[in-house]
Amino acid sequence: MNRDNLISIFQFFLLLFLQSFLLNNINLFGFINPNLYILFIIVYRLDGNPTLLIILSFALGLLLDLLTQGSGGHTIATLTIAFLRPLIIRFSFGVNYDVPMGMIKGSLLTQRLLYLLLMVVFHHLVLYSVIYFSFSNTITILKNTLFTSFFTFIMTYISLGLFKEK
Amino acid sequence: MRQLINALLKYKNTLLYMGLLIISLIFLNHRSFYHQSIFSNAALIISSNLNLTGKNISNYLDLSEINEKLLAENIKLKALELIHFNEQSPKNSAIDTFGFEVFGARIVKNSYNRARNYLIIDQGHEEGIDVEMGVISSDGVIGIINQVTADFSSVISILHRDLKINASFKKNGAYGSLSWQGDHPKRMKLDDVSTLNSVMVGDTIVTGGMSDYFPHGIPIGKVLSFEKPELEGYYDIEIELLSNLTQKEFVYVLKNKKKDQLNQLKNESR
Repeated sequence: MNRDNLISIFQFFLLLFLQSFLLNNINLFGFINPNLYILFIIVYRLDGNPTLLIILSFALGLLLDLLTQGSGGHTIATLTIAFLRPLIIRFSFGVNYDVPMGMIKGSLLTQRLLYLLLMVVFHHLVLYSVIYFSFSNTITILKNTLFTSFFTFIMTYISLGLFKEK
Repeated sequence: MRQLINALLKYKNTLLYMGLLIISLIFLNHRSFYHQSIFSNAALIISSNLNLTGKNISNYLDLSEINEKLLAENIKLKALELIHFNEQSPKNSAIDTFGFEVFGARIVKNSYNRARNYLIIDQGHEEGIDVEMGVISSDGVIGIINQVTADFSSVISILHRDLKINASFKKNGAYGSLSWQGDHPKRMKLDDVSTLNSVMVGDTIVTGGMSDYFPHGIPIGKVLSFEKPELEGYYDIEIELLSNLTQKEFVYVLKNKKKDQLNQLKNESR
């Protein structure tokens, strides 16, 4: 077991507990709870095993749903972005991306921001679609997606500075 | 074989995703009542449409038999009409005061071999059907509507272990609650009849007027056997149903026109 794996396990549980016990109780303006835990999927090594990531994010979403009495929205949302991640990476970094160490130097700032934004927005869109699950609530879904994505994006961007290697 | 394995390996992420997605949908279905109702509604629409196609084919093949049944029923009605005209009594007003509106419907799917049975009929809220309406057939009670889509409705059969119907004796009006034990599609159990009343084998059981779903006096069955426990004040009565729910084709849905008033009274007296 090497150092990367240990760091991943640590991140997994840290983000899980942070999300379920702290961030889900923020209720900014009554409905905004930034979903920082998807940072785990975002900072997962870009050349890591995608199959493992799908299983891990399923476990992450499921545990979060169980801890927060959620109905299953987080499970489906994290599972979906873990599955779509290779596509999003190819879209934002270009077909011949060659950044083995993740969000580290070697890519343009705009590319990194695009990647981050796409991951966050996709996640929230799926999450709120599953939670509301009806066409008549489209406006609510879009509104929640927009505002919560905005705060998650800011928090994720700030937190990425913490994970950056020296 | 090798190609098959290669294809599986190539799409292993997609397959894994699909599998886990199905697991999470099952999870969602179990955890949230709202999602459960949406899923079951969608399933009802799909299954009722599929069953309708099959039923249409078999109905076409059974046309001659249905014709005979209708003929028999027509003869019966004709006889009633003649009796009615002969009597010439001022009972015409009975139809106006009868508090139920009647819709005809055809059974699309019928089950009777599970512990909780449901039927699907081919009338939905476009025709005016709503939840909690009673459903009867030409010779007995069928069940109560529990879910409605635009063109179909699902009916909780009286052969459902959790359903209880108010029933009473035709001869003296003693009432109890009728439930199904889940073993035989023609046997039901009548509980809560006080031992103060006399019971004989062969007594007719009809619907009681205390239910919002059915008018008083629709025949349900006959007493098959009964027991009087020593320590309790209630009989254990076994009923044999008059109608055979395993071979029904057409049913009638009853809409209680005065249900609003009844509900209002119940709410006010609470």
